[in-house]
Amino acid sequence: MLQAYWYITKMKLLTNLTYRFEVFTSVATNLILTLASVFLWQTAYKGGSGTVESLSLQDITTYTILSITISTIFVCDVQNTIYYKIREGQIVTDFYRPIPLLACYLAEDIGEMFSSLLNRALPLIVFASIFFGIPWPASIQGFLLFLPSCLLSYAILWLLSALVGLIAFWVMELGNMGNVKDSIVRVLSGSIVPLWFFPDTVQTISKFLPFQYTYQTPLGIYIGNTSISDGFTAMAVQAVWVGLLFLVLAAGWSRTKKKTLIQGG
Amino acid sequence: MVSSFKHYVSVASCWARLAIQRQLEYPLFLFSWLLMIPIQYFSGIWMLKIIVDRFQALNGWDFPQLTFLYGLGLISHGIFVVFFINTWSMDHMVINGGFDRLLLRPMNVFFQLVASYVNFIGLIDCIPGVIIFLYGCEIAGFEWSLVNIGKLILVLIGGILIRAALFTSLGTIAFWTKRNGSMVGFALTMLERATMYPLSMYPFFLQALFTFIIPIGFISFYPAAEFLGTDNGGLELPLSFALWTPLVGIICFLIASGIFRFGMKNYESAGS
Repeated sequence: MLQAYWYITKMKLLTNLTYRFEVFTSVATNLILTLASVFLWQTAYKGGSGTVESLSLQDITTYTILSITISTIFVCDVQNTIYYKIREGQIVTDFYRPIPLLACYLAEDIGEMFSSLLNRALPLIVFASIFFGIPWPASIQGFLLFLPSCLLSYAILWLLSALVGLIAFWVMELGNMGNVKDSIVRVLSGSIVPLWFFPDTVQTISKFLPFQYTYQTPLGIYIGNTSISDGFTAMAVQAVWVGLLFLVLAAGWSRTKKKTLIQGG
Repeated sequence: MVSSFKHYVSVASCWARLAIQRQLEYPLFLFSWLLMIPIQYFSGIWMLKIIVDRFQALNGWDFPQLTFLYGLGLISHGIFVVFFINTWSMDHMVINGGFDRLLLRPMNVFFQLVASYVNFIGLIDCIPGVIIFLYGCEIAGFEWSLVNIGKLILVLIGGILIRAALFTSLGTIAFWTKRNGSMVGFALTMLERATMYPLSMYPFFLQALFTFIIPIGFISFYPAAEFLGTDNGGLELPLSFALWTPLVGIICFLIASGIFRFGMKNYESAGS
């Protein structure tokens, strides 16, 4: 059973590794983004007192570099895959497969994640380290906690993406709803500016939303702004969100499957 | 001359009608853009506000001035994507043979390339652009005199020409290589960071690069600094930037059209 998923993952990994030029420009784009963001922070910190909200420039530099790096690894193509397959009517052949549809798409995304790790994240970290020094974690424990926290983050992001994908079954033409969700996530997850800098009311509201647990939680643990014990609490909240979103997705999926309409083909 | 001009106008307006009808075909598609673009840009300026509130003015640019700059950069981006978006997809046209079709028609090729798709959706980029810009004018105390309005129009035209020249040159690469990868995404990120945020944040090397080699600093940064009387951190020119921007724009555009024509000589069809 697992072999089937591993095969899908492997094929996606191999396909992605063949596109070289796209990878080159993608690394360059992310590098520009990293440089520009770090320069922005350097300007903001210039002549100031050194730490703001107990974050130093070094902390925020590490935060920014890692935030952009993990965003290249967190591949959630499921929303676009569903949208595209429904538009083209190809979803029917995927339903023929003897394994669950969504699990297939997850396997594909994981394959892409592996290839991104190799050809997007790694070069970005190397170049960023050349410019700004290696972004070390605050402590070994922090680093060890960062990894499982990232996995939970990815689970939240993927489930959100799959939920948006489900909408495509109902409306046929989803348009850019996936990107709408992505832009909201980008801001409220603290991936650009950490939520610690936001006004207090926004911070309070955000505690009850899943978004800040996708980027800010693992990154906060990594740079040591979230203590180890707080880190465990935050990871428990992450796990609760994963469970909750999984239940919603499962309920939505069983209802949606009956709605499937095959276009063309 | 007059009749050929009339001919071009009638072709362009016919294409524009078709393009707009095509884009209105999927209302939800339009709606999703209507949600996404404002969210993206309003959150961008909100991030700047949070940073300035928690820290300090960015190299002497306080929030009203940043808003003015951000809005000016965004408006010129918005107008650009309405009229020139086809320069983004030149590599696709080369690969799928769409470019051959343009060569067969008895009209200017660049005109056809640009006019065949008026990106009606691009107007959505102008909505947050205009709102942010007007708000910026209000809080930064921009004086709406006739001279300033005239300067503003000249700056916008110049900025759009600089953008068009940049993307045309990038698209021309596809004549040789058949593809230019995701150069467009790269250029867009670069443009956003150099035209909507103060250029003086960056190291001297980058400032020089964006002033003399790829002159995108002229799109909004230098004009905004002049309009608001902010210290732009270096470059002093004898004449007003309102004149420099259109001049630089025209020069860039002429160079780009030269590159385009040179590239076309080397163009080989990729087959059907």
